[in-house]
Amino acid sequence: MPRKKLVEDIRVSDRMFLFQPCVGNNKYPGIISAAQDAMPKLGVEMVTSDEQTCCGGFLTFTNVAQPTSTMPAVARNLCLAEEQNLDVVAFCNGCHTFLTEFSHFMNDRPPVKGVVNVILSMIGREYKGTAHIYHIIEVLYKLKDRIAEQVQVPLTGLRFATHYGCHYLNGFKKTAIDDAFMPTVMEEIIRACGAEVVEYGENRACCGTGLTQVILHKEELALPHTKRKLESIKQAEADAVVVQCPYCQAQLDRMSQKLNSRKAGDFRTPTMHIIQLVGLALGVDPVRLGFDAHAIPFDKLLAKYRKLPKRDGAHHKDTKTQSRKQEVEVPA
Amino acid sequence: MRESPIDWLPGFDKKFSELTHRMVKDLEKCMQCGKCTAQCPAAKLSSYNPRQIIRDLRIGNVEKVISSQELWLCFFCSGCYAVCPQDINFPFAIAMLRYAALAKGYGWEEVKKIKDPYAQDYYDTGLSVSPDEKNLGIRAEVAKNSGTDGRIGSVRRKMGLPEKRVVSDKALAEIRFISDATGMTDLLKGMEKKKGVPKKWNYGSPADLVRIKRGPHQKFQDIDDTRESRDPGEVRSQKLEARSQKSGPAGKKE
Repeated sequence: MPRKKLVEDIRVSDRMFLFQPCVGNNKYPGIISAAQDAMPKLGVEMVTSDEQTCCGGFLTFTNVAQPTSTMPAVARNLCLAEEQNLDVVAFCNGCHTFLTEFSHFMNDRPPVKGVVNVILSMIGREYKGTAHIYHIIEVLYKLKDRIAEQVQVPLTGLRFATHYGCHYLNGFKKTAIDDAFMPTVMEEIIRACGAEVVEYGENRACCGTGLTQVILHKEELALPHTKRKLESIKQAEADAVVVQCPYCQAQLDRMSQKLNSRKAGDFRTPTMHIIQLVGLALGVDPVRLGFDAHAIPFDKLLAKYRKLPKRDGAHHKDTKTQSRKQEVEVPA
Repeated sequence: MRESPIDWLPGFDKKFSELTHRMVKDLEKCMQCGKCTAQCPAAKLSSYNPRQIIRDLRIGNVEKVISSQELWLCFFCSGCYAVCPQDINFPFAIAMLRYAALAKGYGWEEVKKIKDPYAQDYYDTGLSVSPDEKNLGIRAEVAKNSGTDGRIGSVRRKMGLPEKRVVSDKALAEIRFISDATGMTDLLKGMEKKKGVPKKWNYGSPADLVRIKRGPHQKFQDIDDTRESRDPGEVRSQKLEARSQKSGPAGKKE
């Protein structure tokens, strides 16, 4: 059950900083373009910046870079949002974790912040610690009622399984907006889009991307682990798995393909990010949602989607959202 | 490390706390309930055992922990933190122990794996995940689904995005300055020369890797069969028979 008090504290403003995940740019670009197209329909303009780099979290927890090297880099990225007086929205559990952890660490320890600012002063920036960092799931949950209002194509009859990923719920067991063991946030958003939720046994099992690439590079460990999860999803007969982290998306999508090519199973359930699902319901063009970049095709889902009736009275196709869309910078 | 009598002398604790980056204070709260190990995905598949590692740290077998292969099996899913009744942030302890291991010369070969594909990409392009697709199977699938040549740049162009996400030169200069000033550049440059001390399987053997005992889940060797698809249950019983005939551990060395 969501923690009502924490949900109340979320401040959604009409302009927010889109923190672009690396996987979202270089493997599944649909996540970024879906955010740029769908969020203005909910009244939130997404601001991007060419100066934003990788969060550096991946390098930190693989011990390639010391936290002392990545913390100023995190502060620099947060400066970009602070300079425009914006709050940050992270689309990846990893980005969210590292931005939040490091910003808390610096804000709670003035000497550390001071040292970071000495380094940042040499590149002409200053970290103040004023920007809030939100996960996209928090923003979407807060805007749940607005999603239900603005749905252009109710996804009636489509069945979705959920996968939350590890870092958001487990790592923030006290501060995440939902419980680590019985989360329902994503289910509520899926229902707000008019779709059905499918239960399956291995819901809270991790996807295994850590085993595949982070530090270990041990596919012999990751494949049986992910296979177990995929089999459970397959039995649930979902149209797609909805995730909230691009890394989980990469793992479930790519390992399905790998297992299929090794004839170790037949996994045809596509994986999509929650923002792609919301984009689908809000009537964003499926081409812009980037389903082409996925290894497991969305043909069946999209065929069903095209048959769905559109909601009467396209009242939300107003010029306001159109003009807002043009203001959003496209990453160069 | 309380492995030899001299370690029990006064002054040991000082040495000890530096090695574990003062994580021991947190780990003292552990009551050895074992919930962490019970839910751990890595413990399911190998001889990695968080409860045992905490116990060893508390009684002072630090060398055993930091010289072990098992230390490098955690991948920070934070499930142990989520279930812990004492709120011990064990993944953080693991990260700190890994720095301790690197300081002692263990585990450089694990870190070197990340250097070329990710850390160098971060230094060169500002992004740690590169757009190049190494898996040709995925590229073929993407080409089929999208009707392009399968490169992510082509898919991005079809979607109306610029072909490549480029981090601006100013930003690159800034992150390179931060890397230089904080020693990351030197670390990356010097990494090739670092030679790791061989690690040991202190909590089990390589044969323990992938030991999912129940269910129709197979070992990697079974999965890696491209000739024909077979019934998983049948494959498993055949393997078990073969193993009982061999009467030896049939694990694949990592």
